[in-house]
Amino acid sequence: MNIYIQIARAEFIHLTRSPFKVITLFLFLFAIIYGCQNGYDLLKKHNKEIRDIKSQNKDFIDKMIIKYDAIESGNEDKKRRDPTVPYWAIWNTPSYAFKYPSPMMVFSLGQSEQYGYYKRVTNWSSTFDSDLAEEIANPERLAIGTLDFNFVFIYLSPILIIILLFNIGGLEIDLRFNQLIYLQNVTKGQWLFARFLFYLIITILSLFSIMLCYALISGVFTNDFSNFFSLFVMAVLYILFWFTIFYFINYHSNGSSEQAIKMISIWLTLCIIIPGIVHQVTSIKYPTNYMTDYLDVRRNQVDDIFELSSDTLRIKILDAFPSIEKTLFASDTSIDKSIINRSVSGLVNLLNKDIAIKTEKSNEEKNKFIISFNLINIVTAFQNQINTFTGSDYYAYLRYRKNIQSIIDKKIELILEDTWNKVTVSKTRYIEYVENFK
Amino acid sequence: MTNIILNEWKILIRDRLFIYSTVLFSLSLVVVVLLGIIQNNNQRFYQTKAQKHVRQQWENLEAMNPHRAAHYGSYAFKNMNILNSMDSGVNDITGNVIKLEGHVQNEIVYSEASQSLSISKFGKLKSSLLLQYVIPLFLIFLAYGSLSSEKETQRLKLLIFQGMSLSKLTFAKSLSIWLYGLFLLAITIIIQSIYSESNLEIFKRLILVTISYGIYYYVIVSLATYFSARLKNNTSALSSILAVWIIWTIFLPKIWGNTVEKIYPLPSRQKFKAIMKEERSQGIDGHNPSDKRREELKEKYLSEYEVDSLKNLPINFDGIVMQKDEEYGNIVWDKHFGSNYNILQKQKVLYQISGFLNPFASLQSASMGFCGSDMIHHMDFLKKSEDYRRYLLKTLNDKHAYGGSKTGDWKWTVDSSFFKSVDDFSYKTPKIESHINYYLMDLTCLVWWGLFITIMIRFNTKKDLVV
Repeated sequence: MNIYIQIARAEFIHLTRSPFKVITLFLFLFAIIYGCQNGYDLLKKHNKEIRDIKSQNKDFIDKMIIKYDAIESGNEDKKRRDPTVPYWAIWNTPSYAFKYPSPMMVFSLGQSEQYGYYKRVTNWSSTFDSDLAEEIANPERLAIGTLDFNFVFIYLSPILIIILLFNIGGLEIDLRFNQLIYLQNVTKGQWLFARFLFYLIITILSLFSIMLCYALISGVFTNDFSNFFSLFVMAVLYILFWFTIFYFINYHSNGSSEQAIKMISIWLTLCIIIPGIVHQVTSIKYPTNYMTDYLDVRRNQVDDIFELSSDTLRIKILDAFPSIEKTLFASDTSIDKSIINRSVSGLVNLLNKDIAIKTEKSNEEKNKFIISFNLINIVTAFQNQINTFTGSDYYAYLRYRKNIQSIIDKKIELILEDTWNKVTVSKTRYIEYVENFK
Repeated sequence: MTNIILNEWKILIRDRLFIYSTVLFSLSLVVVVLLGIIQNNNQRFYQTKAQKHVRQQWENLEAMNPHRAAHYGSYAFKNMNILNSMDSGVNDITGNVIKLEGHVQNEIVYSEASQSLSISKFGKLKSSLLLQYVIPLFLIFLAYGSLSSEKETQRLKLLIFQGMSLSKLTFAKSLSIWLYGLFLLAITIIIQSIYSESNLEIFKRLILVTISYGIYYYVIVSLATYFSARLKNNTSALSSILAVWIIWTIFLPKIWGNTVEKIYPLPSRQKFKAIMKEERSQGIDGHNPSDKRREELKEKYLSEYEVDSLKNLPINFDGIVMQKDEEYGNIVWDKHFGSNYNILQKQKVLYQISGFLNPFASLQSASMGFCGSDMIHHMDFLKKSEDYRRYLLKTLNDKHAYGGSKTGDWKWTVDSSFFKSVDDFSYKTPKIESHINYYLMDLTCLVWWGLFITIMIRFNTKKDLVV
């Protein structure tokens, strides 16, 4: 044990006498802080935007309630878009779907810059509407990528490790006194292990201390402790992965330069070349989807629905929504075109849902293809796993789209129920609608 | 100097590892270029298919009112320049489909990045990835020991005592490795030219790409050789040039990219849309008959045609209202998108300025720009699709107004022959001459670095470093 402590002490002296390594370590810490701060800024921005929208919605709801009061007391005439009609009342019920950012976003922006995180949902909405596009941003900046914790950790921590380790064991070979080391009571493996252990502890401690600070600031411990713990375990495994590779490189190399070249080549291969190959192969196998099937539904098939007669539409609506069979209008033999017209969005929604399932399925196939490379594309696998912990991966946004769909479904269900039951919407009923979409 | 270069090449060629690496690199470049072309052609096939599909639907439209056709709208699918196979720039993360319809300017959607899990942070393995990251690193590995090894073996002293100038030697060593870099670059460009469509525009762009990479390789090789001459041993030279490479390629582009966006912030979509909506609502709402402006317009047309009511107008006033509403909307769009565009331009210029500190930023920007896949080209596509939207809407509204129908006659229809007569959307990548001004800064920075490093070698590598 003493020998390990002695080696660690000597290593500490070696580190403090290598300004290049110390500067790199500080630069790395700066990058980690900068990355976390970027994540924290985006977290605050998302939360603020969501708060602003909610506050606007609240103002709108207050105005609507005043309007209902005025209508009910006879002080205001009903307008063309009569709020006592369920369709227009629900139309005027602000219902936004939010992708609430996880406090863990501090540690990875993931794919959050490629999707929208709020959407006004109406009964005509779909999960692939254009307002679900990403926030307005500089595309070149997006292409270069954001320096978030995930990036710093995944791509820069191996570089830090390279800089810390490239001459460990190599310097002694360069200066030709390596044989002297083995005259001590230590083997090459133990000696390298002890020195690597020193840097492993330094790397993990520096990472963990900053992670801990940002976890406290962003409220991870109160909301998302299990994911933070998983992230930390993942981080340790990732660091260990690189230390293991570099240990074998240093063990078998013949000098600092050779070690540095091998280390940086491995980094280049694992971080840039292999993910690049997988990306390119995926693109060839699964080209970008121009969503023409979805566009066809939105234009042609929806148009076809509008062409149908009221009788046919009524039958189709009743077929598609058996829950309204017992409503007033369903048992009525007369045709009320306005009721039919206000229900058409239900049929359109079914078409949208069908095509959305098809699109998501094709995306899922693509994802499975990407995941099948995880064993060789290990860096991307780690990166996506971190995105999962931080709620910023593809699947987090898939869940968000599902949430949007459930809001659309709820809107349509309410429209159909109340329209077909010929409900006159009062202030109380409006408040119930509001509660439904809170 | 030529002798030193030839001698360096002889030494390199004698090294088996170098030969194997060269063969491996050359083959990789050929494969990567070909894969890039295959992927690009594949994507272009789907893009053309989608565009044709949408056009076919438009041409086969049943007889309908022009305003209904305006709501039916059309789509523009972002097409891939052939040089996208070299450098896909922003194309992987920007949307690909934009709906062109009446009353509203939509956003471009359905980016490749949004359709799957995240894969590579550095992009697909296209030739740009090898040319920007892998080859410079290989050149560094060749250059870092070029003089320090000579120092370590004391050969350098011998050469200096024989009257050789250290700066000349440094230049010669740099040039010999630089020529090797140019050889790899030439393989890429030649394969790219052979296997993709070639025309004068692509040729010009490829020349600019070659110049940009050529200068960058000169900078990186000269800097590595300079460190090799200045620093005491191989390890110091290698660690220093690697540190510079990491800062240039990984660290600075991201830090500066983020900073630029903080210096010139863009509005959030929510605010942007709200203000556009508000300003647009001040104009003529094509569906709101009580609007004041509509009344003014009505009076103007009634007096122009000397009639007393809309029903006596020989034209369809609804079409006029729609077009006026579009024109007002266009003013609002131009103002706000113009403002965003200006912010993006400022961000780009500020980012490009970082090229004075980081030649890699200039290389990346120039590479994307010359391959037609940068933000400027993306914005050009958006602008052209908006121009087409305006043409389409004006054609439809004019038909609605002057095609023979009367005001309020929403059942009046036009048949498919009219829809066929409307031009299709077509987009061509702009000529590089018209866009070169956007990349002058990048080229200037690269040239500045080339000069700077030449001066450094000329005046900072003196005999006293060795003797």
